[in-house]
Order: sequence, then structure tokens, then C-alpha cells
Amino acid sequence: MTGVAGILDGVRFERARSLDEAVSRVGALVSSGEPFHVLAGGTDLVVESHLAPPSPVARPGRTILDISSVPELSKIEDRGDRIRFGGGVTYLTLRREPWASRIPLLARMARDVGAIQIQARGTLAGNIATASPAADGVCGLFPLDTLVGLRSASGERAVPLTEYFTGYKKTQRRPDELIAWVDVRVPARDAKWAWRKVGTRLAQAISKVALAAVIEIDKGIIQYARFGMASVAPVTVSLPSVRALLEGRGVDVDLAALDAAVDRDVAPIDDVRSTGDYRRHVARAVVRELTRSLTT
Amino acid sequence: MIGQNVPRTDGVPKVIGTARYIDDVPPLPGELWGVTVRSPVARGVLQRIELDPSFDWTDVTVVTADDMDDEHNVVALIEYDQPVLAKKQLRHMYEPIALIACADRDKAERARAAVKLHIDKQEPVLSIEDSLAAKHVVWGEDNVLKKYEIKQGDAEAAFQSCELVLTGTYRVHHQEQLYIEPQGVIARWFAGQDGQENLKILGSLQCPYYVHKALKKTFDLPDDRAHVEQTVTGGGFGGKEEYPSVVALHAALLAKKSGKPVRMIYGRKEDIEATTKRHPAICTVTIGCKNDGTFVAVKVDCLMDGGAYVTLTPVVLSRGALHACGAYRFQHHHVLAKALATSTPPNGAFRGFGAPQTIWAIERHVDAVARALGRDPHDLRDQNLFNEGDTTCTGQVLSVSVGGRACLDAATKAVDWKARRANIDRFNEKLARDGKRVRRGIGISTFMHGAGFTGSGERRLKGKVAVDLTPGGRLNIRSASTDIGQGTETVFRQIAASVSGVPFEHIDLEVPNTTKVPDSGPTVASRTVMVVGSIVGKAALEVAERVRAEMKDSGGTFAEAGDRLLKRVGGTVSSLQQYEPPVTRQFDEATYTGDAYPCFSWACDVAEVEVDLDTYETRVLKLWSASDVGRVINPILCAGQVEGGTLQAIGWALYEDVVWRPDGSIANARMTNYIVPTAVDAPPFETILVEIPFPAGPGGAKGVGELPMDGGAPAIASAVEHALSHELKWQGSLLPDLPLLPEKIFNRVRQLES
Ligand SMILES: Cc1cc2nc3c(=O)[nH]c(=O)nc-3n(C[C@H](O)[C@H](O)[C@H](O)COP(=O)(O)OP(=O)(O)OC[C@H]3O[C@@H](n4cnc5c(N)ncnc54)[C@H](O)[C@@H]3O)c2cc1C
Repeated sequence: MTGVAGILDGVRFERARSLDEAVSRVGALVSSGEPFHVLAGGTDLVVESHLAPPSPVARPGRTILDISSVPELSKIEDRGDRIRFGGGVTYLTLRREPWASRIPLLARMARDVGAIQIQARGTLAGNIATASPAADGVCGLFPLDTLVGLRSASGERAVPLTEYFTGYKKTQRRPDELIAWVDVRVPARDAKWAWRKVGTRLAQAISKVALAAVIEIDKGIIQYARFGMASVAPVTVSLPSVRALLEGRGVDVDLAALDAAVDRDVAPIDDVRSTGDYRRHVARAVVRELTRSLTT
Repeated sequence: MIGQNVPRTDGVPKVIGTARYIDDVPPLPGELWGVTVRSPVARGVLQRIELDPSFDWTDVTVVTADDMDDEHNVVALIEYDQPVLAKKQLRHMYEPIALIACADRDKAERARAAVKLHIDKQEPVLSIEDSLAAKHVVWGEDNVLKKYEIKQGDAEAAFQSCELVLTGTYRVHHQEQLYIEPQGVIARWFAGQDGQENLKILGSLQCPYYVHKALKKTFDLPDDRAHVEQTVTGGGFGGKEEYPSVVALHAALLAKKSGKPVRMIYGRKEDIEATTKRHPAICTVTIGCKNDGTFVAVKVDCLMDGGAYVTLTPVVLSRGALHACGAYRFQHHHVLAKALATSTPPNGAFRGFGAPQTIWAIERHVDAVARALGRDPHDLRDQNLFNEGDTTCTGQVLSVSVGGRACLDAATKAVDWKARRANIDRFNEKLARDGKRVRRGIGISTFMHGAGFTGSGERRLKGKVAVDLTPGGRLNIRSASTDIGQGTETVFRQIAASVSGVPFEHIDLEVPNTTKVPDSGPTVASRTVMVVGSIVGKAALEVAERVRAEMKDSGGTFAEAGDRLLKRVGGTVSSLQQYEPPVTRQFDEATYTGDAYPCFSWACDVAEVEVDLDTYETRVLKLWSASDVGRVINPILCAGQVEGGTLQAIGWALYEDVVWRPDGSIANARMTNYIVPTAVDAPPFETILVEIPFPAGPGGAKGVGELPMDGGAPAIASAVEHALSHELKWQGSLLPDLPLLPEKIFNRVRQLES
């Protein structure tokens, strides 16, 4: 199929029908050196393409490869203690049963993404690929021991999500790879979890700070504490100092030590949405609030 | 008809998508796409414009200031200081310098990038303080665009004998109108039957005759050779009052030079960056009162940021000054108002037009006085609120349709103020005991808004409307008042139907077009229903009476008699009416004394909020608004104005902030980052329409358009202070400045704690 009238004049538009077809097409485009974009829900890509006319995306000679109809990408495999979500799974799917009961953290996170229209189209792989430090989906996946499945024509590899981002909008993904799936650990039934998004407003908001957490407590001792925090550093952070402080201890946490741990783990900046000082304050406050909730 | 919820007549076409906004108008043969080359500096001297010689300019039209002589290179408005295109001196970031048109949009964009500007940069003046200190003189001799003084009695002397004299300084920031549909026009030149050149503008606009005036000046056109027609307009809020003249002039210049029709529609970024915004202001208020809370004297020093050119600033400043003493009884008033020039895009009309700025200051200060006296902010207002017979800062005796007290009483009752405030205090104590990190608060504002033009404005303007009889016993209203989403189309028909007795379905409305409709004055100042609506009724009645006389003489139905009449007189049965302002005490523009407005609309807003003690996010839980806008023509549309306007005030208070970089550019010119409230952020509204009729308005109506923008922000600030008063102690005002962004509240609290 070629150009839609108007802004897409001269843009080649293709739709992949299987994951194999998609990765082989991506491989071919990469080796030919032709400019291309992979399109899933389009909620990041289309917005970016409208920002600075003339559109950097919809340029004559470009190829847009639509992967939204690739069946493997919307598959979900429940293996009991872990679930493998296809990269094309949307926020709306996460909000629905049975997944909402299996991993309430993801359902709660999904409710705070954009608004219903965005949730119906936006995908986990799109969120991860865009690699924004403000990404809510990434933040929600961080505490779930998530593996990212990268697939290319030459094979598949799994990368832990917490190691996937190498710098501001930089990742381990090669240009010929697609995000095929994310594989997450299902928290224990009685695990405590938390999602707190502090955004610019209640919907259609980019996070100023977001916190995702899974905490498992056994006989009053914190056995497992994992976090994701958005918008407080060039990449999503996993709050390793906070984890180190909490794991193996009781739930009565020393707040000064907690603040100090948060301080070590974040490096927020001033930008058009907020200030570094405020973000640091909020980062501490939401972590404090979380630990407070553990005792109740 | 008046008082009924007639469904809006523009509703169905908008919902099913047949309404044509400017971008939906099909391309004209040979049409070009126009774009603007803008200044990349906030202040500087343009030395040279260079067209990249490696670019193919053959099918590109370029217009610069050199295409006009200086006399015609002006956007005609109040002063003739703003050029259509900057020639030498650049006075603000994004100032238009050159225009480009090309059939290929993509190429037009590339051509824009191929224009090289050689500029000697100068240091800009970006704040009111720097302008006042004349850091650099950027306008006139001292940067002062306009000033006013209002004086009744002797406030300074009266302060000496007051038991409490309190001063505070309050600031408000820019606000972007953010209408859904950006600015846009199509310009086309054509030869008239006499072979003379005519200019036609189609566009998204509020005031067709403002554009008409600007075109006549720049292109030396007589009245009947410039034609301005409004297309369906997706919102204005004042943003399409004066700015469309600029877009129309630009498109017309390109169309003239290229000999082709030119379409120019701004993208969102360009629209936010280059067009007008609400004037920022700094107001210092002093109130002197007795220990029992009786207000005695008030002094307000108001500074407004006009931006780089005069545009409508004198009128905005005037309305700001006239509303600066609030809705309260004082014996002595003194207002000094000054507008200063800066190196930012000209600020302009925006719902409220200067009043929200000064009402913010006086309302915040009344709260500070209440705090100093240990009084409930509601009770102090109740004690000092204007009653019928009281006198305003201009010496105007409030004698007709004085609804302030009725609004306060209605709101107090709906809210159950005393009990609710006490309940909230108890609830907060419980929240604190439970270790919860949120607190609630409730706040109030009482305010009034002058309806229609200030002073002798309406007398000078002589707004006109015509109503014609058309076949089948129908009436056609011809008026220049535009429907920009607020419901004018519907309420004009309701007024005409109710006054003339002709059924609503038999009343049509001409599309506002300067060639077909008389000049009814601009669609601004909450004047459309009260002023223009009153003559719509008169004209409709006169035509209907003529038809009824014909029925009486020769029988038949209304339609038959109408058709007979049309035939007999040879085609036109019409009534042209001119507005006659009600006789009031003359307003003296030299001394600012007399009746500033024929009447005021009144309101009382109460906001209940929840504030997060960790993140300082504020959520409005409920908003009550009791408004007296006179007799209500269409309750649903009227409540829509109150709720929409109040939501815009909530946006201004809590979310919206134009982020300026140090070079005078805007960092958040996108809907992602210029934060307006969404439906989820909107609180439940309880809107109470208190109807105190104004005899000179149609059916007793006053104006509603701007009033709801005035009181939301101070009511919310008052509520946030109440919520935080459980944790913090302060003197004066905790939150003197807008916006109440979480980051700003956080900084203020930190400053208090250290
Ligand atoms: C109004 C609005 C509100 C939003 N609100 C939020 C919010 O609250 N929180 C938030 O985090 N985000 C938000 N977003 C951003 C966006 O919706 C999400 O990041 C979403 O997850 C992107 O997914 P998508 O499928 O639409 O991606 P697309 O736009 O289709 O693609 C985005 C990028 O990912 C690449 N890509 C897509 N799929 C794959 C794949 N399988 N393998 C490799 N690369 C791939 C594309 O090539 C592209 O570069 C919002 C966006 C909008 C427009």
C-alpha cells in the first residue's frame, strides 16, 4: 500500500501479518539503509511526527511498517508464577480480567496512562521502545523482575528490563530487533504493591514522579522489595539503595535513612514540567508513604 | 421563549461534522499555503533578510515590510504602533518579519527555513519590574503604554485614622486562551463588477469589523471593497478579538502579491507562541478598616504587562482598574493603574479583560485582612459587600439590578458555610490523627463584573442590527455578533421569537459578513445578549408589527400577509436598529468618575479542595457558583458559560503556566505541556442562577460571558490556605501569587519553614 493523501504522500505503508514477517522485513530495511518506522499503537510515533513540520516521520521515501496486526504480539501466556505479555498488549488489556486480578499493579498503572483512548491503542513495547524516563508502563514493569524479549531475523534474546536502558533514550535494542514480549514475575498473593503517579493533572498527564513497588513480607521481615521510579533520572530507576535498606529488615523503617537512600538513587532535574527540588521532595515523600502503608 | 432550554441550533452540525471550520473549507482554485517567518530574538535590529540562493524560489511568494510603505504597514487598532511586518526594530520573540506562500505546504515550510535573518541582538525587557525600572526603553519615553488614576475621597488620609491598615502585593501570570481551533483565514482578491479590486477574508474570528478596519487601513480600501466573513469558529475567549486582523493582513498581502488565494492556518505551537495572552499583573493593595471589620479606605497600585505593542492594553487596563476595589463598600478609593511595555508578544483580550487580575488581588487581600482580624473570610465579605444604594470607586451609585447580596446568600445557603467549614476543620483533625497526608479546605470569593463597554463606549460605538422579513413569514437577523461556541445563534433567535411572537423555527440568522450585516460592535465585553440582543428584539418586533398590521388590514396568515407585504413594497421589509444606552450619569474619561457601566453582573464562588501535604497537588472537590446575570435567556447555555468559565479560572489557578525561557521564547507551546484541566480534573459544579432583572436588557438580561472567569482563582486560593492553615502559621497571604502550582506551594512552604 502506498501513500494516504496529504501528509503521507510518498510514504510507503506496509502491514506485517506475522512476527517472522515483521522481523525479516525490519532486517531487510536495516541492511538496505532505508529510513523506516515501526508502528504499533501510534500514540508516540504519530504525535512525534506532528510536532515539527515538515514531519520528520512522514517523509517521502520512508517506510512505515505497521505491526499492530501481528498476532504473536498480542498473545499472553500465563505460566503461573510468571506471565509473558506480547509486546503489542495494550493498557486496556492490562486493566481487564483476568490480568487485573493477577497483577493489580499493572492494572492500576494502566488506569493512569493518558486516558481511555490512549489505553486502547498504546502498547507496552511502544512504551519501552520510546524509552522516555517518564514512561509509566516501564515504571510499572520495573518491580516485576521483567525480562524483555528482543527478536530479530537471527534469533531471540532476553534482557532484564532494569538493565535495558543504557542512558537517556538509549537502550540495548539493536535497530534490527523488535520487542516481542515482556516476561513478568507474578507477585505473591499477599504481596503489598503500590502505584503512585504524580502528574501534571489527573488524566493525559506526563509523570513528574511515579513510583511502582512490590513488597513481600514474611513474618514481619521484608523478603522482597522491588521498585520503579519515573522522571527522577535520565532513565527509570530501580531505587537500589532503598531496596538494600529494606530487604531483610522489619517494616519499621528509619525515615531519615530512607530519605538518604532515595537521595542516593535519584538525580532529578528542572524541566518544563517541574523542578528538581520538588521531584526530590516528592520522591522521598512517596517512598515514605509507601513504607508507612506497610505497617497498616 | 426566554428562560427556556431551547437546544442550540449550531449543535447538530457540529456533532455530525457538517459544520465547516476554516480548515474544512474546500481549496479554492490555485490556492497557496501561507506561512510566517518570525523573529528568533526578543529584541534586536533587523539588518538584512537573505533568501538562500541555493533554494528554488520560482514558485514561492515572499512578502516583507519592503512591500508596503510605512504608513500602511500598521495593524490598525487603538494606536497605530504595531507593524504588519517588522522592518527594522524587532520588539518581541516570534514577531512576524516575512511571509511565504507556496502551493506545496511542505515546500512552504522548507522555504521558511531558507530565509536567513541578519539581526543585531539587543537585551530584552522581559518583566514588569525591568520595564518599570526602564532597564531599557522599549516603548515611548518610559515604557508606559497607558495609565489611569481613580480617586474618590482621600484614602491616604483616611488610613491614618483606621484601626487596621494592611498592605499586600499579589501577582498573576500569563494565560493562553487555548481555543480548540487555532487561528486561520483564507484571503482572496477579486475584481468587482466595476473592475475594481476587492478583498475577501474568510476566517475564524470574533469581530469581523475589527478585521475590516485593519484591511481598509493597510490596503487603502473603501468600506464596500473589503469583505470579512466568519466561518464556524472553534472558540475564542478573546483570543480571536484582535489577533485575526494580523493573520488576515498577512494572508491578504500574500494573496495580493501572488495573485492567488492564500490559506493561512496556524499550528498549535505557532498559535501558542505568537498570539495574545492574558496580561500578567502585579497589584499592591492597602485596605484600612475598623477593628469591627468595617472597610473604610482602599488603595490599589496596579501594574500590567502589555507586551510589545499597545493593541488593546488601554482598555484591558481600564477594566482592571475599574474592578480593582472589588465588590465592597469603601468611603475612600484610590487606584493607580499603569501598563508597561516588555519584549514579549502583545498581551490581549481574554475573558475577563483585566478584571480577573485585579479581582485576584483584592479578593486575596480581603482574606489577608480577615486573617489579621481573626474573622471568617465569609463574614468579612458579608459585612462589607455592596448593597443597593452604595457607591463605587467612580462615584457610581448602584441602583439597578444589584445582585451581590442575593448571590452571597444563595451560595451561603447551598454550601451551608458555617457548618461545612466547621465540619472540615473537624475532619482535618481526624485526618491528622490518622496520619493521613491530605487536608481539606473551603474558600470563597464575591465579585462583580461591569456589563458591556465601559463609560460612553456604547454611545460612541452605535451598535446596529437589522432584521428582514423573508418569504414564508420568516425573519432573518443580520448582526455582526459572532457565535464562537457560546450560543449566540440560539439566544438571538430566542430573544427575537419572544419579543416578536414569531415562532423560533421561523427565525434565521445571517452568517456574519461585513458586506451583509451592519456593525453591531465587537463580540466582547459580555455585551452580546445585553446590548446587541436588546436591539435584535426591537428590530424583530418592528418587522413583525408591520406584518401584523398587514394581517389586520387584509387578513390571511402571518406568512401570507408577510409575502403580500414583501410583494407590495418591492422586496425589502426590514428594520435597522441602533443601540441606545440607558440614560445614566455620564462617565467622565478624564477623571474616571460617573457611571462606568449601565449595570454589573454579580457572583459568589465557593470552592472546596483537598490538598496533598506531600505533593502539594490541589484537587477541587466541589465548586458552587451563585451568579446574577439578570434574567436568564437559556438556562442550560447560561450554566454552561458559568461552568466553562469557572473551569477556565480553575485552569488559571492550578495548572496553566506559560513557561518563558530567559531569551523570551516559550518552552511549553504544546498541549502536552501547557496544562489545562481535563474533564477528570473538573469538579462537580453547583450553579445557581440568581435572576435580578436589568430593565434595559432583553427580557431583563445582563452579561454572563466574562463573570465566571473572575472569582474561581481567589476562591480556590482561599480554600487551599484554609486546608494548609492546620499545618502552617503565616501572616498576610500564604499564596499571594498565581499559579498555585504544586512546585510553587512547595517553595512557599519551605520558605515559611526555614
Ligand atoms: C495523549 C497521550 C497521553 C499519553 N499518556 C501517557 C502516560 O500517561 N504515560 C505514558 O507512559 N505514556 C503516555 N503516552 C505515550 C504513549 O501512549 C505510550 O508510550 C505508549 O505505550 C506507546 O505505545 P504505542 O504502541 O502507541 O507506540 P507507537 O507510537 O506505535 O511506537 C512508539 C515507538 O516504539 C516503537 N515500537 C513500537 N512497537 C515496537 C516493538 N514491538 N518493537 C520495537 N519497537 C517498537 C516505534 O517504532 C516507535 O518508535 C501518551 C501519549 C499520548 C498521545
